[in-house]
Amino acid sequence: MLISLRKNIGLYITHAILILATLFVLLPILWVARTSLANRLIAYKIPPVWIFTPTLENYRTIFQQYPFQRYFLNSLVVASVASLIALILGSLAAYSIARFRTGDPVLRLSMLSTQMLPAITLVIPIFLLARLAHLWDSPFALILAYLSFNLPYTIWILIGFFQSIPVELEEAAMIDGCSRTQTLWRVVIPVVLPGLLAAGVFNFILNWNEFLFALILTGRDTRTLPVAVAALWTQQGVQIGAVSASTVLVVLPVILLTWIIQKSLVRNLTFGSIK
Amino acid sequence: MFLISEAGKTRLTDADRLYEMKSIVRKRRSEAQHSYRQSERRLRIYLIVPAIIGIWMVVGFPLLYAFYVSFHDYVLSKGGLGAVNLANYLNIFEDTQLLVASKNTFILTFSVVSLEFLIAFGLALLLNNKRLHGGNIYLLILLIPMLMPPITVGLIWRMLLHPELGIINYSLGLIHMPQPAWLGDPRLAMITIIIVDIWHETSFLLLILLAGLTALPDELYEAAVIDGATSSQKFRFLTIPLMMPTILVAVLIRVIAALKTYDLIYILTRGGPGVSTETISYYIYRVAFVFLDMGKSSALSFLLLVLIIILTIILMQAMRSEDTV
Repeated sequence: MLISLRKNIGLYITHAILILATLFVLLPILWVARTSLANRLIAYKIPPVWIFTPTLENYRTIFQQYPFQRYFLNSLVVASVASLIALILGSLAAYSIARFRTGDPVLRLSMLSTQMLPAITLVIPIFLLARLAHLWDSPFALILAYLSFNLPYTIWILIGFFQSIPVELEEAAMIDGCSRTQTLWRVVIPVVLPGLLAAGVFNFILNWNEFLFALILTGRDTRTLPVAVAALWTQQGVQIGAVSASTVLVVLPVILLTWIIQKSLVRNLTFGSIK
Repeated sequence: MFLISEAGKTRLTDADRLYEMKSIVRKRRSEAQHSYRQSERRLRIYLIVPAIIGIWMVVGFPLLYAFYVSFHDYVLSKGGLGAVNLANYLNIFEDTQLLVASKNTFILTFSVVSLEFLIAFGLALLLNNKRLHGGNIYLLILLIPMLMPPITVGLIWRMLLHPELGIINYSLGLIHMPQPAWLGDPRLAMITIIIVDIWHETSFLLLILLAGLTALPDELYEAAVIDGATSSQKFRFLTIPLMMPTILVAVLIRVIAALKTYDLIYILTRGGPGVSTETISYYIYRVAFVFLDMGKSSALSFLLLVLIIILTIILMQAMRSEDTV
């Protein structure tokens, strides 16, 4: 009895600490979600009103008074195109490095070293070059800028995935009459699909959340969501309701995406062809 | 066919015929191998060239261009690229603002990385308990901040910390605590940024450290229990040494990221009040896009890059010496 109590006290303390930490993380998020559903008066009210009828007024504001649907589309296009290009170029390069040791280890390490590069070091020349090429204020400049971290990251991650495929799998395919390219498309790519998916989603999230490049390289119409949200704070004082609604708009897709992908990732890994 | 007719004419012995066939087979095989190897070599080049061109376009060339610009006068408001000027680099040592920004960056980096590490490691140890139920639910929530852009994190906390409209100062007032101007007070602003950064970035360390902990081999711990080790001994002589590589990699990644802190500063304080929270990245941003001095800002940004490389090398050396122990 005493022993089980003593054992459980440790567990109770563990739960208590974890609940405190979880609340510290969760309460600010819940507060913003709550404020995004409050009307103008209630959003500002201190002491706060705890019980009110939720309204979508703030969401209407950001879509009608500000073109947030355009910003959302900008973010979506830039983030997915950059991560798709990185996936195509990156997977081919990663295969070459993993299977034939092309340029190993210099190439492989230089992929890693780009992660040290501060965004500010790269944003100045990219801004200047984009200006010279008249690409400023267009999604192209931003897509190119995002490739600067998407591409090395994709290659770095996928090298590991490609190396985990047994060479025998490819040799078997080639004995059965596949050419190298056919082997690559029909055997290797399907097997590393979970890896491609993971790298793609990771890059997408990085791009979706990126701020500095987007701030410098976009103008009024090409803005991405984080820049638009940040501009909302400074434009006309504090618009607590609109800021909250747009914050939810930026954050929610990413959380849902990771949640969905997490499930399909597990499925891919369990039913995939590596057994 | 050729073989048979040849053999018919000259009446070769069986041994000769065998020898000839073998040599032909060998030749054909080496030819096949050669063409295979050549096509393979071509393939590996074809596969990697697009990525190398891409990286050169978006990383290599811009960096070289910035290096070139950093040795020139280039103020956007005064026109294009000017004369060669080493002052961009030489004046660095007289730049008092850079000194302040460097000091702030070091304070920020040291505080956030050490505090985040302690919190994340503590939480990871608690979550790694096999008797703990519902650990996944805690984890799911604790990892949410990692998915949020720093801009929204900053905005959320600005709303919460607002002196009049924020819920935090209101709650403090209820329990008769002081209600400080969190971001407006020069002595407090940096501490506030550190707290917000902890809220945001601890989840990343937690994820890596927990992954490392769950991968530790159970057998060692079972053996230690049989040998009569206490929990603190297990922690001191098993967990810490086994986790060292993971810890160092996690800390290295966080140090590099913290040295570059920009977004959070932009949204929370813009380096203020005064310059009390200005980091190196934010200072470079100001030189480049407020004062439009591309030459000086490029030079400064290379300085930041060199600083990060040096710190990385030092930390990697530490890692290597840990490995050999």
